[in-house]
Amino acid sequence: MKVGVFKFSSCDGCQLAFFELEEELLRLSEKVQIQYFLEASSKNTWDYFDLAFVEGSISTPEEEERIKKIRESSRFLVAIGACAVSGGIQSARNFEDFSEIYFSVYSGRYEVNPLSKPLSDFVKVDLEIRGCPINKEALREVLIALLQGKSPQLPSYPVCLECKRKGNPCVVVAKGLICLGPITVAGCGALCPTFERGCYGCYGPVEKPNLQALLEGYSRLRVSQDLIKELLRISFNGYNKSIREWL
Amino acid sequence: MAMKVQIEALTRVEGGGSLEVFLRDGKPESLRLSIYEPPRFIEGILKGKPYQVIPDITARICGICPVAYQMSGVQAIEDAFCVKIPEDIEEIRRLMYFGEWVQSHALHVFFLHLPDFFNVPSIIELSKIDKGLVLAGMEIKRAGSFIIQALGGRTSHPVSVVPGGFNALPESLSELKETLEKALEKALWTVEKLKALNFPDFELKEVLFVSLIEEDYPILKGDIYLEGVRVSPKEFKSFFVEFEVPYSTAKHAMTKYGRVYLVGPIARFNNAFEKLSPLAMETAQKLSLEPMVKNPHKGILVRIVEIVHALERSIRIVKDYKKPQRGKVEVVPRSSTGYGVSEAPRGILWHSYSFDSEGRILSANIVPPTSQNQRAIELSLWELIKDKENIKEDWLRDHAEPVIRSFDPCISCATHFLKVSLKDAKKFNLA
Ligand code: SF4
Ligand code: SF4
Ligand code: SF4
Repeated sequence: MKVGVFKFSSCDGCQLAFFELEEELLRLSEKVQIQYFLEASSKNTWDYFDLAFVEGSISTPEEEERIKKIRESSRFLVAIGACAVSGGIQSARNFEDFSEIYFSVYSGRYEVNPLSKPLSDFVKVDLEIRGCPINKEALREVLIALLQGKSPQLPSYPVCLECKRKGNPCVVVAKGLICLGPITVAGCGALCPTFERGCYGCYGPVEKPNLQALLEGYSRLRVSQDLIKELLRISFNGYNKSIREWL
Repeated sequence: MAMKVQIEALTRVEGGGSLEVFLRDGKPESLRLSIYEPPRFIEGILKGKPYQVIPDITARICGICPVAYQMSGVQAIEDAFCVKIPEDIEEIRRLMYFGEWVQSHALHVFFLHLPDFFNVPSIIELSKIDKGLVLAGMEIKRAGSFIIQALGGRTSHPVSVVPGGFNALPESLSELKETLEKALEKALWTVEKLKALNFPDFELKEVLFVSLIEEDYPILKGDIYLEGVRVSPKEFKSFFVEFEVPYSTAKHAMTKYGRVYLVGPIARFNNAFEKLSPLAMETAQKLSLEPMVKNPHKGILVRIVEIVHALERSIRIVKDYKKPQRGKVEVVPRSSTGYGVSEAPRGILWHSYSFDSEGRILSANIVPPTSQNQRAIELSLWELIKDKENIKEDWLRDHAEPVIRSFDPCISCATHFLKVSLKDAKKFNLA
């Protein structure tokens, strides 16, 4: 199986999950040929990929071209992480005045798109691995399942379920904190509530999130809709297709 | 005749960059280390947001050194709001930061840099030559990750660091002790192997070494030190100048007197050698390393010395660990400006924020290590090529790319922009 790992606008954090596989990476390398992975190897070839992992959001005209080329060369394309799935933290600008942000930090020679967008705005994405960053367990599951020709099993339920499974007291009930766990997809093991804080949504929304119910629930706790929306906009996943119109 | 040779995409570095060399009649005329990573405007995004989001958002600037961003960030907030952090919490911050040094240095030493010395393209190929060495590297890296996970839940973008301290802390860290001790053993074992590597003869010239200065070997805080001068975090901007260059999306930096400077392990080692832990000192001696180290290729050796230091210090902290009575102190926002600086694995990382009376961010300023090092990298590359003729791409790949890699540039971090005044840059003859 020929594999490529590609990077767009991102922090490189999701690619690190490959390195975290450690010995497994060495073992897997007997079955898969990593043909293109700039961060890992100085020998790269680009012809055809059975499997392409793509990190990062699309935020320049050059990136728009490149993601299309990768799609044409790949049989199966996996978006890894919040940047690739939803636009990432850099998509927080999508909800604000771009020229103000742009010129407040840059004198303006470089061509950057006003919006930072997920891969799926440009090409067909076959699978998403969630998280900012993704975790190595999910990456391992995907690699092994695809090697065996099965479909990978990734969670689709919300973080709350992981919280319950762990026996965490709910931070909303116990501490009056704001938590995005009810609409955020699981996979992290309810990390934040375990550390006594609210989930800030880094794994992104579950499929068909019931945002209305979340807003109403919090308004009953006297938390304004505006605040929840602001948190979602900076949740690394605010520009996810399933919630962007709401925000 | 004018022509250009280039490496279009640098490999085994973090982020996207390229190297172009311009030749005239076969002789090198100039070169450019171009960083083409698209800007992500993190400082712009922060504006108007509440101060609490700083550790989570700035961590996302870099997947390899998120803890550094969190530490400089919270310290800038605490500076602004006049918060004093108790020593026991600071010690835990150090531990978490050592974890990051260990995992980031191990990643660079074994995964990114070491293959160069064996003439192979990747760690996977290297494992076919010396599996023991690769496995040792992995074990060391894992130990660093364990520390960060124990304190912050996950290695990249941990979730526990908040202004004032930690959201929650473990009851005990005793399960870390054995892992760290084993990793230290492994690190000492690799020293013999690294000692046997061949280093190209090469020296950085006319470069200032800049690092923090504190009681300990510098990592968490302190003043900035250059050639006998101490600069407080607040004074950073009046001693160092950042400016844009037309071919790079990351800024360059120099001292205000127009000197090129270097930050990172070599600078720390040269400035604070005598503060290394006993085993780290011994390791340096075994490797015949002493200040002033000027060969960037030896960065790999300095990093293993720092790994030993970080592991030895971490073991001590873990042994003494008692969960603090209070994991965090109270933070009350007020309208003001604060500064924070710490030693990221790649060198000093400076943050500054202004807040309104509710703690909303009015402006954010971040200067990462790689943008500060770009000039020094270019200067060394120029040293390397200036007398060569008819340079070919293959030669660049074999000789210039390892030089770039030895600096461990973190290109995604470097791609940040502050409000720049080209006028300033021109004034100092920099653009
Ligand atoms: S999703 Fe998060 S961890 Fe992954 S590349 Fe983007 S910012 Fe980094
Ligand atoms: S703490 Fe958050 S994730 Fe956990 S149960 Fe409560 S709302 Fe759900
Ligand atoms: S609890 Fe939420 S914010 Fe925290 S790691 Fe999990 S998904 Fe991310």
